[in-house]
Amino acid sequence: MAASVALRFDTRVTGVASPVLFADAVRDHQDEVFGVALRITGDRDAAFDVTSAAFLNAYRAFHRYDPARPVRHWLLRIATNEAISYVRKRGRELRRRVEVEQASAIADPTASPDTESVAREDRARIRSAVSLLPELYRVVIVLRYFNELSVEEIAHVTGRPASTVGVQLLRGRALLRASLEAAR
Amino acid sequence: MRNDRRDGDLFDEMRLRRALRLDAAELPPRIDVAAIAARARSERPALALATLVSTLFAGVAAAGLVGLVAVAFLAVAPALGSDLFAAAIGALARVAIPASALLSLAAEPTVPVATIAALAVAIAYEYAQRRELVREVTS
Repeated sequence: MAASVALRFDTRVTGVASPVLFADAVRDHQDEVFGVALRITGDRDAAFDVTSAAFLNAYRAFHRYDPARPVRHWLLRIATNEAISYVRKRGRELRRRVEVEQASAIADPTASPDTESVAREDRARIRSAVSLLPELYRVVIVLRYFNELSVEEIAHVTGRPASTVGVQLLRGRALLRASLEAAR
Repeated sequence: MRNDRRDGDLFDEMRLRRALRLDAAELPPRIDVAAIAARARSERPALALATLVSTLFAGVAAAGLVGLVAVAFLAVAPALGSDLFAAAIGALARVAIPASALLSLAAEPTVPVATIAALAVAIAYEYAQRRELVREVTS
């Protein structure tokens, strides 16, 4: 019953150039949507909630989706906004305090020199540093280096001017560098 | 040595990309589109009801506010009107007293008219006298 409802809704948006089905959009982009939610919130459970909410909102608004534009960007925009709302609601300061402690623990200089563990340590340290960034910079860093979007695409997804996105990327990278050097 | 190189290369874009990439363990379970559709369907009546209730509430509140403003206006209007009328009459009187003096002065052209008339008579007399003198000389 629910599947038939879904199919009926799926057929709503059929652009002349490229018909897009909601089910296809979910299948093709769910990992990316979950990933952007995870990297922005820094919390797996939160990322699940954000992903579910993003797809639910996308489903409700699918009749307003413009098929002339990439569905990927549309979904990323919804997911990014959901993740930002979640982070704001949760309270960033509390989260940062917790993660500073985690980052310090990860940066323990007595850690194993084994190559694999070094790589794992690096990844964890960079992820922690990204999750410590102010939301303004974290969003553009995640969209650039996780979703591999160009500056123009990030501008479209976030609704910010491209020049602003460029500056925020630069500042975000500088903050990351400073954070990683401080945590070493 | 290796640590130095690692420190120097701590932050580059490739490393950032690799670090942010989803690990296999991080991949989410598949999302059920049918469940999303069912959830949207189940939440829609509640959403519609909430919208209806909020719209009704906003309408009633707006109507109440308009009624309140109308009643208050009707109560205040007579006193306000008489005050405004009295103020207008007072202002008119204050302006009219100096204005009437000026207007009466302008409405009495006795002196200038008499002067102009006397001048005209004098000119006419002089002109007539000269014509008489010329006639006597030529005749």
